[in-house]
Amino acid sequence: MAEFIRFDRITKFYGPLCVVENLDLGIGKGEFVSLLGPSGSGKTTLLMMLAGFEQPTSGAILLDGTAINGVPTHKRDMGVVFQSYALFPHMSVGENIAFPLQMRGISKAEIAERVKRALDMVQLSAFADRRPSQLSGGQQQRVALARALVFEPRVVLMDEPLGALDKQLREQMQLDIRDLHRRLGLTIVFVTHDQSEALTMSDRVAVFNKGKIEQIGTPRQVYDEPATRFVAEFIGETNLVEGVVETVQGQEATVRLASGAHIVSALSGAVASGQPVYLSIRPERVDLSETRGDARNVLEMEVTDSVYQGDHLRVQLETAAHPLIAKLGRRSREFPPGTKVFAAFSAGDCRVIAP
Amino acid sequence: MSARSSRTGRSLLLVAPLLLFLIGFFVWPLFSMMSQAISDPAVLRLLPKTAEVIGDWDRKSPPSIAMQTALTDDLKAVGDDQALGDMVRRLNSARSGFRTLMSKTTSALQDTANPPADLVSIDKRWEKPEFWQAIADALSPLTDRNLLAAVDLGRNASGQIAHLPADQSVNRVILARTFWIAALVTFTCTCIGFPYAIIAASLSGWKRDLMLGAVLLPLWTSLLVRTAAWFILLQEQGLINDLLRGLGLIDAPLALIFNRTGVIIAMTHVLLPFMVLPIYSVLITIPENLMPAAASLGAPPWRAFLRVLLPLSLRGVASGGLLVFISAIGYYITPALIGGPGDQMISSIIAFYATGSANWGMAGALGMVLLVATLVLYSVYARFSVDEPGRR
Amino acid sequence: MPMKLAKFTFASLAILFLVAPLIAILPLAFTSSVILTYPIPSWSLRWFEELFTADAWRRAIINSLIVGSGTTLLATVLGTAASLGLRNRLLLFRGSVRTLFLLPMVVPAVVLGVGMQVLLARFGLTNSYAGVIIAHTVVAVPFVVVSVTGALAGIDERVELAAQSLGASPATVFCRVTLPLAMPGVLSGAVLAFATSLDEVVLTLFVAGPNQRTLARQMFSSIRENISPAIAAAAFLFIAATILVGLAVMVFRSMLAKRR
Ligand SMILES: Nc1ncnc2c1ncn2[C@@H]1O[C@H](COP(=O)(O)OP(=O)(O)O)[C@@H](O)[C@H]1O
Ligand SMILES: [Mg+2]
Repeated sequence: MAEFIRFDRITKFYGPLCVVENLDLGIGKGEFVSLLGPSGSGKTTLLMMLAGFEQPTSGAILLDGTAINGVPTHKRDMGVVFQSYALFPHMSVGENIAFPLQMRGISKAEIAERVKRALDMVQLSAFADRRPSQLSGGQQQRVALARALVFEPRVVLMDEPLGALDKQLREQMQLDIRDLHRRLGLTIVFVTHDQSEALTMSDRVAVFNKGKIEQIGTPRQVYDEPATRFVAEFIGETNLVEGVVETVQGQEATVRLASGAHIVSALSGAVASGQPVYLSIRPERVDLSETRGDARNVLEMEVTDSVYQGDHLRVQLETAAHPLIAKLGRRSREFPPGTKVFAAFSAGDCRVIAP
Repeated sequence: MSARSSRTGRSLLLVAPLLLFLIGFFVWPLFSMMSQAISDPAVLRLLPKTAEVIGDWDRKSPPSIAMQTALTDDLKAVGDDQALGDMVRRLNSARSGFRTLMSKTTSALQDTANPPADLVSIDKRWEKPEFWQAIADALSPLTDRNLLAAVDLGRNASGQIAHLPADQSVNRVILARTFWIAALVTFTCTCIGFPYAIIAASLSGWKRDLMLGAVLLPLWTSLLVRTAAWFILLQEQGLINDLLRGLGLIDAPLALIFNRTGVIIAMTHVLLPFMVLPIYSVLITIPENLMPAAASLGAPPWRAFLRVLLPLSLRGVASGGLLVFISAIGYYITPALIGGPGDQMISSIIAFYATGSANWGMAGALGMVLLVATLVLYSVYARFSVDEPGRR
Repeated sequence: MPMKLAKFTFASLAILFLVAPLIAILPLAFTSSVILTYPIPSWSLRWFEELFTADAWRRAIINSLIVGSGTTLLATVLGTAASLGLRNRLLLFRGSVRTLFLLPMVVPAVVLGVGMQVLLARFGLTNSYAGVIIAHTVVAVPFVVVSVTGALAGIDERVELAAQSLGASPATVFCRVTLPLAMPGVLSGAVLAFATSLDEVVLTLFVAGPNQRTLARQMFSSIRENISPAIAAAAFLFIAATILVGLAVMVFRSMLAKRR
């Protein structure tokens, strides 16, 4: 995929506060990239610099190979969808969508035609003459989307566009946006703090923390192969168990836990023997049984609590050294508290993470 | 039900004192001012007996004996020459020839040696109904004379409404001047106040507080103090002229006081807060991201301003403008102290009629014009600010 | 960047225009000269002395205090009672009554002055303190109504219902809950009423006799007839008082805000 957008060593200070620190990121043409991170981690700031609302303190932003640092927003040709939609309250839905076309001096007839098509696309044809305030949240959000897409921008930027919607509508819109992305071949930079949203929609996810990208990769990579403790904890739920590396063999390492048990685990980065590390074990990858079985990693534990949660059974386990959580499928048998069990998982289902 | 009605009773009791107070000392004064404008009992006061009998007259037939005796008695009883002169003037303007008729009649009546038998025997004209009609009309305690005069109109000899002669036509000039000065002040207030409010709304923290404080301080300071300050600053030896001369920008002092320039400067200063605050309060309700949104959709700053910020803030500008205009047309103190004779506004003229020449009729009539203009504008203003969305 | 500079310049000039006149007059209060110009030859307190000893000024100050207190008392009592009554949504013509209460702010002072003079003359109240206090109350009362209504609107009615449910009689609810919550509004209304009376000139011109000349009225004729630095001294006192009053109102407001 040809690189289309490049953030080249971008740093942004607000006064003494460093919000984005020496950040490098490349985004391909037609790619859907999510910026995922907790609130305050600098995602919006990065997006605002791309849109031209803010200037980087240092570093360059390249679009299609040319630096756009000095280009004012209105000449950047980027469609932005804001979290609170930013629809013009004094214009009708149709006028809102026509606005970017008018700014480009497009003929009246063509504007009418394209507005109509955009409204069809978001299924709001009947609402062209309404004011935004007369629409529901989900409808407003679709108007904002139509307005940002109607002028066929080179890049579409979305800053937590679904944050104000309720869960069901949000999930519907996630699929709709993903569908539009595929159909129109759009390049989308999507900011969110909701990890499941990022995993659902994106080609790649950039995980932000304190103004830096901790990891960038496909949804599968960031979930299954977290590079850092932050990523492992922020995306999904995980068990973090302390240990010390004993030996490293290729892409695997043997780690000794405080309980004395030895675990063989896949690696996320380079570690040396003798190094204290964390093991990240996803709860849903843990199997429980009353017999030892023949998995590579087996821990002998005791059930302290077990909660039925509809789609899964959540079992809390304990040894003298560390706790562990296991999520078992719907068809799993019950594990009453006090039961002695063996928790088993493969080497590929856990990761060694340098602290 | 009874709890509710006792609660309503209690509310009424609470509201009543202020209601009565304002009806007595606010509404009633305004009405008595207006009644001054349309009442003219001067003739009625002089001719009480005539008034009693003339009501039965059919306005066409020759005058009855009773009417003639009543008028004779009334005329004999008049002691006040000034009042008599006023009455004759008024009758003469309704019916020419009255002046000579009256002087002939009064001197004949004073001749106690051989008293005339009746009025007709003094002058044949007393037989004509036209003259009696003029008296009957003048006896009515209501008049539109003052109201017409307030806009430089009057009734000519035949009773039709016509322009007053140019030497009596000052009120229109003053009304036009009042509205013109108010419009100028509104204009300068908009030119300064609108950008000021936009900048203040775009700032945050202490910068915003400073800009708002700079508006509130004058608003809370005594009007007289502000006017005095400008009086001192604008003098020929005042700080502004000193400064300009010190900078070498001018050689001779500029005339800044007792003229239009001074009035506009001082009134702009006094009324600017009324422009800034309504605009500001509208601006801060506009979502922050609309202007960035417009830019991202391809609007250059000036087009974003015209298409987004301006339409959305227009309500604030309109209500600020109306507020300034309403206040400006009623202004008295600032023009009185800073303006020259050519800058006096309608309030000054009203004050002059009321206190200077005790012409309550004219003061009331001009007051009525000003009051009506103010109330009409205020009702427009109230409409604007009522449908403010988001107002609790 | 040039845009930013233009904004900064504009804002600075506008602030200068708004505030500088008020500041420029202050030092002149301390001049030793008889004329109101800069530079000030030497400093003295003679004009403050004049203010408090010269008969006309001293009487004017006393009159202002008398009229101001009377107005404050009358306007606060009438305005607060009326605002409490206006809380009842069932009241007939509630909107029109409220508009009537605010209208004295709108009607030009000269118009009201002419009417007042005509009417008060009929009752023989011209040239009396009562007449001046009544006239000032008419224009001061809207400020009390606005301020108290605002404070009352901020009271959560559930608090009063809660007090009732805890066994308080309506009178107790009023004294122990409603009034204390509305008090900041009442106080700032009273302050505004006093300030309005202090600053009122036009009505005073029409209804007051020579014996009720207030400070503002005295300043008016002094500017008009023979301006002297005593004006600057009076202005100094006014501005100092304004700042104190402003602080007081701000304190009341923040009391109100904290209650919420
Ligand atoms: N205009 C600004 N001035 C000062 N600090 C800012 C400004 N905008 C954002 N920040 C700070 O920058 C940090 C990152 O903000 P932001 O990019 O909005 O985070 P995110 O979108 O990831 O939640 C936050 O700590 C925020 O307080
Ligand atoms: Mg954000």
